[in-house]
Order: sequence, then C-alpha cells, then structure tokens
Amino acid sequence: MDERIREKPAEAAAEEVIGELEKAQADAAEYLDRLQRLQAEFANYKKRIERERSEFVSLANATLITKLLPILDDLERALESVPDQVQGTDWMEGIRLIERALHTTLEQEGLTEIEAVGKMFDPQFHHAVVREETSEYEDDEIIDELQRGYRLQGRVLRPSTVIVAARPSDENKREND
Amino acid sequence: MAKIIGIDLGTTNSAVAIMEAGEPTIIPSSEGGRLTPSVVAVSKQGERLVGTVAKRQAVTNSDNTIFSIKRLMGRKYSDPHVKYDIELLPYKIAEAPNGDAKVVMGGKEFSPPEISAFILQKLKTDAEAYLGETVTQAVITVPAYFNDSQRQATKDAGRIAGLEVLRIINEPTASALAYGMDKQKDEQIAVYDLGGGTFDISILEIEAGDPPVFEVLSTNGDTHLGGDDFDQRVIDYIADEFKKEQGIDLRGDRMALQRLKEAAEKAKVELSTVMQAELNLPFITADASGPKHLTMTLTRAKLEQLVGGLVEQTIPPCRQALEDAKLSPSDVDEVILVGGQTRMPAVQEAVRKFFGREPHKGVNPDEVVALGAAIQAGVLGGEVKDVLLLDVTPLTLGIETLGGVATPLVQRNTTIPYHTSQIFSTAADGQTSVEVHVVQGERPMAGDNKTLGRFILDGIPPAPRGVPQVEVSFDLDANGILNVSAQDKATGREQHITITASSGLTENEIGRMVNEAKAHEADDRRKKEEIEARNYGDQAAYTADKTLRDLGDKVPADVRSDVESKAAAVREALQGQDVDLIRRRTQELTEAMQRIGAAMYEQPGATPPPPGGGPEPQKPEDEGTVEGEFREV
Repeated sequence: MDERIREKPAEAAAEEVIGELEKAQADAAEYLDRLQRLQAEFANYKKRIERERSEFVSLANATLITKLLPILDDLERALESVPDQVQGTDWMEGIRLIERALHTTLEQEGLTEIEAVGKMFDPQFHHAVVREETSEYEDDEIIDELQRGYRLQGRVLRPSTVIVAARPSDENKREND
Repeated sequence: MAKIIGIDLGTTNSAVAIMEAGEPTIIPSSEGGRLTPSVVAVSKQGERLVGTVAKRQAVTNSDNTIFSIKRLMGRKYSDPHVKYDIELLPYKIAEAPNGDAKVVMGGKEFSPPEISAFILQKLKTDAEAYLGETVTQAVITVPAYFNDSQRQATKDAGRIAGLEVLRIINEPTASALAYGMDKQKDEQIAVYDLGGGTFDISILEIEAGDPPVFEVLSTNGDTHLGGDDFDQRVIDYIADEFKKEQGIDLRGDRMALQRLKEAAEKAKVELSTVMQAELNLPFITADASGPKHLTMTLTRAKLEQLVGGLVEQTIPPCRQALEDAKLSPSDVDEVILVGGQTRMPAVQEAVRKFFGREPHKGVNPDEVVALGAAIQAGVLGGEVKDVLLLDVTPLTLGIETLGGVATPLVQRNTTIPYHTSQIFSTAADGQTSVEVHVVQGERPMAGDNKTLGRFILDGIPPAPRGVPQVEVSFDLDANGILNVSAQDKATGREQHITITASSGLTENEIGRMVNEAKAHEADDRRKKEEIEARNYGDQAAYTADKTLRDLGDKVPADVRSDVESKAAAVREALQGQDVDLIRRRTQELTEAMQRIGAAMYEQPGATPPPPGGGPEPQKPEDEGTVEGEFREV
C-alpha cells in the first residue's frame, strides 16, 4: 500500500525531472550554439585584425603622404612658372634638386605616379572633371591632367583629376540617330 | 547562421553596418571608404560600375551615369516630384508601361529598384569580403515619408540584389536605435537629418519595452537642401572675393575651380572645430603680370553668415512637423542630429534654439542610420539578447601592496567574465603570512579606495623577503561576482574570498569614485611616487646589507665601508620626509654597490656573485610585495 501511494508522486517527480532535463538540454544546446557563434566571430575578427594590422603597417604613412600631396602639387606648379630672371641660375638648380629629393623620398615609401595624359580614361585610377568635345583625340582619351594621381604600394591614394576627350556631339548624334 | 547586414540606402551616399560582438560597426568599402556613393553607371565598354568608380567617370558618361535614384523609387512618371527631378537629373527618365518612372542607362531601360539593387549588391559584396562569409539577409532603411509603393520598391531592390529584406525600417527609427533611445522611457523625439542633398525632420513617439514601439507622428523636410548647397555658397564667396581683388573669375578656369571646390569643402569641415581656416592655393591662376595666389582666411563667423539662410530654411519644416504632430517644442523629450552637415556648430545652435534643448550628436552623424539598421538586424538575428550583452567592471580592482599602494589586477571597463593572476612576494625576511586586502577604486593608494574584503594566507615557509611566491588570482564571473584567491607556490596552501556583485555600488557612487580619482590625480601620483621612492630605498639598503653579509670578506674593505655608510645614509633619510633626499641617497648607494660586483670580478678566480636575496632593487612595482607584513618588521 505504501508503495502504491508512493508510485504516483514518483511518476510526477520523474516527469518533473524529465522536464527539467529537457529544459537543461535545450539551454545547453542554445548556449553551445551561442558559444560557437561567438567563437567563430572571434576567430574571424582575429583574422581580420591581423590582416588590417599588416595593411596598416604597410600603409601607415598613407594619411601623412595624402596630406603632403597638395604641397607637392604646389611646388610643381611653382616650378612650372619660374620667372625668367631666375631661370637657369644655380639657385634655381638647387630648388629643383630639393624637389627631386622630395620625390625620391616619397618613391622610396612606395609612392608612384599614375599615368594619365595620352592614356585611355579608367575610373579605377582617374577622376574626370571635364569632358571636352574634340575630334583630335580618341574618344575617352585623357587630354590633360589637372592634378596628378598617385598610388601608394599599388593602392590608389589619390586618382588623377583629368580632362577627357569626347567626340563632338553632332558626331554622337549622328550615331544615335 | 549567417550575419544580417544593416543598410542605409541613401540619396547621395549609402553605408552598410553589422553587429560585431554586440556593437554596430560600419563596414568599409573595397575602395577603403566608409560611405559608398549611390551612383551606378555603365561604361562605354558595357561594364557596370558602382560607387566611387562610377562617380569618378560621371562627367565623361553623364547619359549613362545614374545618381539620386532614390528620388525616383516607387514613383509614377506623372508624379510632380518626378517632373521636377527630370529637370535636374542629366540622365534620361521615361515612363514604364505600368506608369512607373524608369531610367535609361547604356541603351537599356532599368526600373529604379534595379538601379538600387546594383548599389545593394556592391554593399553586399563588400560586406562579404569583410566578413569572409556569405550574406543573404538585410535590414534596409527608408525615409519615414516613403509610402507603401516606395517601400515595396526598396524591398524589390533587395530581392533583385539577392538579399532577403527581413525588414524595412524608417531612417529616424534607425537613428533612435543607434542612440539607444528605445531603452529609456516612453518619449517623443525629433530626428533632424541634414545630409548631402536632402533635409528630413521626423517626430517619433517611442514606447519603451520589449520590443519597443516606434511611431512616426509626422515628417517634413526639403528634398533639395543639403551640405552641397553649403559648399556652393562658400565656393561662390571665395571666387567673388578673388575676382574683386585680382579681376579673374576662377569659375571660368576648370583646374582652378576644381582646386577651389576641394579647398572650400575642406575649410567648411575645418570650421566645425576651429574658429578660422586658412585657404592657401598658390599658383591658382596667372595673367600677363605673372602667377596669382589665392590666400584667404575664412572665419567661422563669415561662414555662418554665408550659409545662415540655408540653416534658417530648415526651421519652418521643423515647425510644421511639430504642428502636424500637435506638439510644441517643449513636448519633445530628445533631439537627435543625423547627417554630415549637422557637424556644423551653427546648425546645432539653430536646432538647440528651436527645440530649447541640447541635441544628441554622435561622432559620425553620417553613419548613424546604418548603425541603427545593424542594431535592428542584430535584434532580428537573435544576436542582441540580454544574455549576450557582456558587462564591464565599472571600477578597478586590486590589492594593497607594500606602502599602502593599490596594485590593480583588473582595470576598470574590463569586459567580464575575466580571470587574471599575478605573483607577489613577502616584504620581510622570515615572513610566514601575507594579508590580501582587496580594494576597488581608481585611486593609487589603497586607503583611498573601497575595501571589498581581506584575508590572510599563512603557513608560508620562512624565507628571505622576496623569495616566496604567492599567486593572487582574481576571477570575475558574468554576474560580477569576484573570487580572489592566494596560493603559496611552495606549499600549495591556499585561501580565498568571494565578494558578491561588487558589494553593490550604485551608479552615483561609481561616478563619484571615478571623478574623485581624476580630481586627486596629481596629488595621488606624488604620494605614490613618494612611496615608490621609499620602497626602493628600503629595498636597496636591504640588498646592500645582504650582499655584504653573503660575500663576507670577499668585498674589499674600502668598498665595504663605503656601501655601509651609504646604506646607513639611506636609512637615515627614510626616517625623514625629504623624498628627494631619499632618492638621491638611494642612487648613491646603488652606484656604490656596483663597485662590489666590479671588485669581485677583478679578483682572480672570482665566481659570479650569488643571485642575491630577493630581486635587485629595480622598480618596486615590479616586485609588488604584499602589504601587511611590512608592519610586522
């Protein structure tokens, strides 16, 4: 009789335990899932940080060099319009040597000029600000460079700002019609 | 499960963000920028270009370069907005058989959702490159005023791009999420969004809860007002000034104009943080008399005068939006600033004046919408759950070491759960027990911090000071419960203490302690340096005695007496308060002691001196001797 009395509570208790077990198993599965996700995320994060760090090392100077480029532009502009009275003097020669030294230093850091004039326009490297209708050049050929573009270790630091040739519009129209 | 991305599909620029370890993060584009121009083109070679590259070739290929496509999303060709934009946009806009507007690019017709899809595809590809995994789901934002067909068009764009759009959310809602507005209380907020080409003001009602409910009460704005207009005003002003002075109109010279544009934008940006900006454009142009330079100082006051009218134009829409929401400015609980142009102090001031309260501003107002979209994506992906929101310890935890110094083991703002341990040693010869005094706070002296608990580890075998190794471990679990244990490495004897939930410091207390630490910084540093000098001197005198004792008569008499007298001098100085004297005499002693080593090596057949008792008097904090027994000496 005692046993019979005990039977029911035992069943209920067993059910309760099973319920708890199921819940615990569900929780465990969820936690494992989150752990795995977080671990995966962390692994990817580490890889990315590693990649970024190696890029950072090679491009650590990019910000500074980008800021120096307008000054380099100005220096070049100055040298393009040297007044006659100093042209050809030793002093002028010295200034040109300074410019060359600056170029050499930047080149050693991995700075290279992007070719523009005479090349076909490529938006990966060139930024077109003017389109000039002309039949003297090929369509999409770069006629003039307003600002030189540079790459730093292969990556475009600043695209060349260029004027691009376009066939005269009447010619275009004829084609379209 | 793959990540869900959040996308701000903007009129001028777009951005994509992702939840990363519980924080929304902008994903940089393959070109390295944080924003991607919303520009799509087909080159003459038939190649499709998106983003920066498409923008660079726009002038050479204006018929086939589509920008501002958002203005046409979900609109009929007959829509008056479309009629208006046809006048402004250089590409061809036509009518589709169903009456929708469509565009022509590369000789082919495209619906606006198709064009948007190209932008979305690029963002998706960039996100995949960044994450190293496939992305298939997204949350995309739209202006609050978008109607059903515009929202549907945006959804379609996502589908065309191969993205399942889990949700379209309003841009102001995304901004509110990014600023954590959903977590606070029920409130009414205004979102002031001044971007590159559009201005939007939205009034939202937020019902805090899980999930929070956002209701857009009203919207208003100006679809053709933005930062670009500000730039133009500056360019015109500079060009006019230059013309007045030099008689040359720079706007007629393509190269000069290009340089001027860049300089004007740079000056505008600079003037958000400084009061005046220098414009310096040497050799900007030339005439018969020679080269001409442009040098000008633009003050913030001048800039504000130039663009004041534009800033003013944003106020009537704000007033209208409030009126539509049946609210007065004082009913608005919070104001949020979004869009790059809101970095300008004059804009912030205008908003402050109108709403009568300080607006919230983030570091990168042009990224706020994408960040909010990423947060929504995180919620949908089940990533933003309370269990995963990791807590940080608000104050530094450490133990008291020699001289009452608080030696930190867990720095404040360390993410928990966290475990760390460090080896300490004894402060006196033959010391058999150490007291571990656990303190919390930012002050360098233990006495100024809060005591969390203390215990004693005894049974350490007697040994010269600095020799026993006591490993003190701090273990903080995810609930902030701190377990500190100390173990003697030689005997394995261990003691520990459990401190529950940082002993319940309130936010206020934490704030006060952090502020106090800042206020006392200089004073505390001096005190700590003084104690370090004392510890250093004490250690040096001790080492000197021990070395002389260990080496006995191997030390030449003159060296011995020199060292002895200098050690005595250090001890004498230690009795007094003159810290500089302690430092100076300690320095003299360590120099004298170097002569012991030198003398030893000079002796024929000399063996190297024994490693000495305890560490050489290097920096005392390296030694980190456990406090307590210091008093027993």
